[in-house]
Amino acid sequence: MNEIPEVIRTIPLNYYLFLSTALFVIGVTGVLLRRNAIIIFMCIELMLNAVNLLLVSFSAYRSDPNGQVFVFFIMAVAAAEVCVGLAIIVMIYRNLQSTDVHLLNKLKW
Amino acid sequence: MEQAIYTPYDYLPIIVQFLAAAGFVAFAMGVTHLIGPKRHSKVKDEAWECGIPTVGNARTPISYKYFMTAILFVIFDIEIIFMYPWAVNFKVLGTEGFLQMITFMGLLMAGFVYVIKKGILKWE
Amino acid sequence: MTSIILLSVFGIINLFLGFLKSNKILLPAVIIFLAIVFGVNFLDWNNPQSHFNNMLTIDNFAVAFSAVMVLSLALILPFSRSYINSGNPHLAEFYSILMFSLVGAIMMVSYENIIMLFLGIEILSIAMYVMAGSHKKELRSNEAALKYLLMGSFATGILLFGFALIYGASGSFNIAEIASFSSNTTATDLLPMMEIGVLLVLVGICFKIGAAPFHFWTPDVYEGTPTLFTTYMSTVVKTAGIAAFYKLVWAVFPGLNEFWYPTLVAITVLTLVIGNIGAAIQTSFKRMMAYSSIAHAGYLLIALTSFNDYSENAVLFYALSYTVATVAAFGVLKLVSDQREGETYEMFNGLGRTNPLLAFAMTVAMCSLASIPLTGGFFAKFFIFGSAIEAGAVWLVVVAILMSAVSIYYYFRVVMAMYMKEPVGEKVAVDGFAAFMLIFLSIFTFIMGIFPGWFNNWL
Repeated sequence: MNEIPEVIRTIPLNYYLFLSTALFVIGVTGVLLRRNAIIIFMCIELMLNAVNLLLVSFSAYRSDPNGQVFVFFIMAVAAAEVCVGLAIIVMIYRNLQSTDVHLLNKLKW
Repeated sequence: MEQAIYTPYDYLPIIVQFLAAAGFVAFAMGVTHLIGPKRHSKVKDEAWECGIPTVGNARTPISYKYFMTAILFVIFDIEIIFMYPWAVNFKVLGTEGFLQMITFMGLLMAGFVYVIKKGILKWE
Repeated sequence: MTSIILLSVFGIINLFLGFLKSNKILLPAVIIFLAIVFGVNFLDWNNPQSHFNNMLTIDNFAVAFSAVMVLSLALILPFSRSYINSGNPHLAEFYSILMFSLVGAIMMVSYENIIMLFLGIEILSIAMYVMAGSHKKELRSNEAALKYLLMGSFATGILLFGFALIYGASGSFNIAEIASFSSNTTATDLLPMMEIGVLLVLVGICFKIGAAPFHFWTPDVYEGTPTLFTTYMSTVVKTAGIAAFYKLVWAVFPGLNEFWYPTLVAITVLTLVIGNIGAAIQTSFKRMMAYSSIAHAGYLLIALTSFNDYSENAVLFYALSYTVATVAAFGVLKLVSDQREGETYEMFNGLGRTNPLLAFAMTVAMCSLASIPLTGGFFAKFFIFGSAIEAGAVWLVVVAILMSAVSIYYYFRVVMAMYMKEPVGEKVAVDGFAAFMLIFLSIFTFIMGIFPGWFNNWL
């Protein structure tokens, strides 16, 4: 039986790079184009997960566990961010009855 | 390491699979529409709710308490991922690793005690 | 190191102190905790050591910046009297979150591994998202929290992608190993990946410290956030961000110098111009202070571009003097706006007649921010410009001095309003602790301006 890194390495590293860059760009596009706060938030999570994929594939190609450790930390931090973020979005929904970011325009010069 | 060479031809099975899946869905939906009997009435078109009449709108606000519980679950759930690497390397890390994990769990427990004392998990 | 552990433990203790009946004990307790941390922090002075398998290194750089940040939190807290008097039920949480975020800030200045830098930034940022939205019923606070959250986590994503590419190129998160990789990149074909990674990291960090052209969230967030926490954002968060940035560009990417240097210089000039011009056209004092914090990030970035023997000390001195002046300015704003409802310049009209102390403290702070001689701000800019001239960037200094001239206009608008206009309201009530703090801050500013040598040769 092959080792897991070897199985991963049967696909060239470039493909992982392209896939995670594509995911990342989809996330960025979503953040820039969508208006619903929750969907923007999902796009940010997509960006973070693209990074996770990239880190794991680099880690497997270099046989270096550091990248996977970083992924653990990113997941934990992303969970904390989601909790705070959803709490903030719920707070706004209670005040505005909507999560459309364009309704938030109290702050302007 | 020798890199495998891939050609577009290698992806043919995946495309066939996609086509087969999409084709089956289209086929099944089309056939049921064509040959299934259709009877419209007030009772038939209503949403089915265990035989009793439907009550209210499905999009009612859900109690805030579910939200708090769910969020707390996400936090405590994710913190567990730090235990997997520790569990795998339990013997190598030895006493020091054990003490560090005790500290980590102690901090988590402090948060848990705080949440309980704050009354977040009280249902009523 | 001890300071990180102590701050975490004290933060937890403080959370549980919040269950007591009276919230009178919280403020003294937090001040005592911070005093202990401030003292313990100096145990590591001249005793550099690394902890947790080279994850953190506590050297003099880390100790000095930690001291500045702990001090600024201790200076900010006395202005939280209105929260105590109104019996805010979340007071203990506010204090605890600020202390936890300080842990993140200290990690940002003492990291040895990119993982720790990321964790520090996130601990600090997530705490700040919460604080930005701490006035739950107020729409402006909600909006600030959401904007900060979305922009901040977007920046985190970009920063992380940069880190991932750097890891892919260099194969390590340790900053010494990345530095050794980036200093001999002549033969590797991984250089483009490294360069894209460095660029993305620059963008992400500039987002976090609010440098133009990634500054657009700053005015909105600073204006909507409750004033007490705006003070914290524009002092501690900025200091930590700049110190981390300093360490990053000069400890991690020195080999790629000619690649990122032009980018950083362009960002610096843009930040200076946009910050100062933007501040000049504001009608709200708080929004002006937000743009002013962008401008000061620009001055700090000048020190980053000119790396030599003076720049470390210059950044430290600048951070200290900027912190002292900003805390005083926001402190007066908090006291006045609690009573007079509003944050415009007109609100300060005639303050020199009704509250001479507040007006005096505000004037000293504005002089320091506008870098008038005899105040700390003058020597702060003097040292920064000195290090830039030493590095040969004279034209950058010329731009910066022109922009400082612009800054005098908007800083003195509020001084004019206080002394030249008729009073608009009653005398503003000031409690003893806050008054003492304002006097202390003014004296501190003068000491920094008259004996700058005391603070300048630490590192």
